[in-house]
Amino acid sequence: MSELKTENLSCKRGENIVLNNINFSIKSGETLVVKGRNGSGKTTLLRILSNFITSYEGKVMLNDLNILEDNLYNNKFNLIGQKNSLKDNLSIKRNLELWDILYNETLDHPNLLEHNNLHQLINRDASSLSDGQKKCISLHRLNYNNYELWLLDEPFVYLDEINTNSLIEKINLFNENMGMVILTSNINLPKKFHKEFII
Amino acid sequence: MSNLIKRDLLLSFYSSANFFFTVSFFILILILIPFAFSTQTDQLKILFKGIVWIALALSIIVTVDRIFNADYEDGNLDIIMQKNKTIEHLIISKYLTYWFIYCLPLLVILPILSFLFYLDYLETIQIFINLFIGSFGMVFIANFVSALTLGAKRTIFLKAIIMIPLFVPFVIFGSDADSWPILLALSMLSFVISIYVTAYGLRLYGE
Amino acid sequence: MYIKIRNNHIELIKSANPYLIFATIFVFVIGLYFSLFQSPPDYIQGDSMRIMYIHVPSAWFALMTYSILAGSCVLWFITRNPLFNVIARSIAQVGMVFTLMSLITGSIWGKPTWGVWWVWDARLTSMLILFFLYIAYIFLWQAISNKELASKISAALAIIGFINIPVIKFSVDWWNTLHQPASISKLSAPSIDVSMLIPLFIMTAACFLFLVTVSLIRFRLVLIENKIIRTGN
Repeated sequence: MSELKTENLSCKRGENIVLNNINFSIKSGETLVVKGRNGSGKTTLLRILSNFITSYEGKVMLNDLNILEDNLYNNKFNLIGQKNSLKDNLSIKRNLELWDILYNETLDHPNLLEHNNLHQLINRDASSLSDGQKKCISLHRLNYNNYELWLLDEPFVYLDEINTNSLIEKINLFNENMGMVILTSNINLPKKFHKEFII
Repeated sequence: MSNLIKRDLLLSFYSSANFFFTVSFFILILILIPFAFSTQTDQLKILFKGIVWIALALSIIVTVDRIFNADYEDGNLDIIMQKNKTIEHLIISKYLTYWFIYCLPLLVILPILSFLFYLDYLETIQIFINLFIGSFGMVFIANFVSALTLGAKRTIFLKAIIMIPLFVPFVIFGSDADSWPILLALSMLSFVISIYVTAYGLRLYGE
Repeated sequence: MYIKIRNNHIELIKSANPYLIFATIFVFVIGLYFSLFQSPPDYIQGDSMRIMYIHVPSAWFALMTYSILAGSCVLWFITRNPLFNVIARSIAQVGMVFTLMSLITGSIWGKPTWGVWWVWDARLTSMLILFFLYIAYIFLWQAISNKELASKISAALAIIGFINIPVIKFSVDWWNTLHQPASISKLSAPSIDVSMLIPLFIMTAACFLFLVTVSLIRFRLVLIENKIIRTGN
């Protein structure tokens, strides 16, 4: 049973205060939805939680250990940002191959993609895909195993109803396996998650 | 570290930056010499020693975007920075892959090319040693320029304006046979500067 | 960026502007009078050496401005006081102008003296490189849309350029000894008569006033610009 919590988290970009006194905690098996207007600092929060931004006030603790001092923290979370991390000039198959090397894990891609009806895209160039299809492929990275925490930045953007539901299913399954999820979203989701936080 | 090297090599192979293309680029640049100047043996010899450096500088300028900029724009840089233990590991593997993809081909075909330009064995070996040492220094420079200009999209001329003044010492000492110790010193200096500045740039843009 | 500067400071700079502009023009006119009429022609070079009175100060200030630029970038990194960044950004343009001026006047002076517009010696070449360092500094700042980031990145570049200048000077010196005999250096350091020192001194003062005036105008503009960027967010 692990717990991620923030203590009086504040972050300034230049002189603009982006985050002011953020306090929340989340336990294994829970999902936190971060809501807020455009430019309210949702992405900044995720980049703090993924150790990209290191200059801030307050603390982020995972199991009572500051994430800045936790050398293994980088192996514990899986961040899916707003950018798709796809190479436009390469086919999806090759993109997946490159991801496999970076994530150091070889997945059975055809089977996993068939589950989402994406297997017919595998030989197409990434540039020929629609934004929704790109997002689906980008979220395919959630299949990499052994992560405690998912950090999802606007995962529902561009997704249609079926794909939204299957992503929610995936998040539920991950929660059942005692994973933590923090996601940002602007839209009202069809399902209520455990916790909601408004910046 | 080795994963990133493997991935970068595969990526360059897939995106037509393979050995064949890089070699062709060098040969075509060097073919311009006899067309532009003359085919006299003694002149070609002198010109060749300088223009290999210009060819190397050109190929670095053209491909500098591929070090960090491309990965930054599509989001892969986040994954790369997350998966590497320290940022220094990341930077050193980038040095190695970039040198391997864009500088090694020139060194490999150098003996054949110097044969076409009437150089003897000794001269070829001297140029080879100079290019070997100097190319590392230029790769270090290209890396930090790429890391510093992540936010400036599609500004290849600006990057050239930043890089060429830094290349000048390499080109000056590179075309002289006996100055490899100075080249070594320059490369080491640029390594020390580069590793700090690249890390600084990457951290800034990671935020 | 947050700068502790009150509005009346900006107003003060603004009100000093006309006086500074007047003083610059005044000293320039006096300097020109002395250098064109009140000083003897050189006994070897004749009247053509009078261009020295504009060439030498602008070359000095081109180098000095870059030193201030790099120095304030270093101080900015150490102290984190954004004032140093504003100083660096306000003097970059005028430094570029000085460098261009010294290059142009140098080559005009070079034609009657050496018979050519340009020679590839260490000083001229490193001056040319210095010009491109200024260009890189200014345009890199413009190319990056996040201005906070742009300041940090271009400051790092300015410091690297400062390391590069002596390296270039050393390499070109070395390159010259290899490729061509140094014939220019004998001409360039003659002992200067007092009658020539007076106009040189006045012209240096005029260039200094020009530097201060333009930098202060830029300084005010950069401050105002920062305010716009700040409220724009």
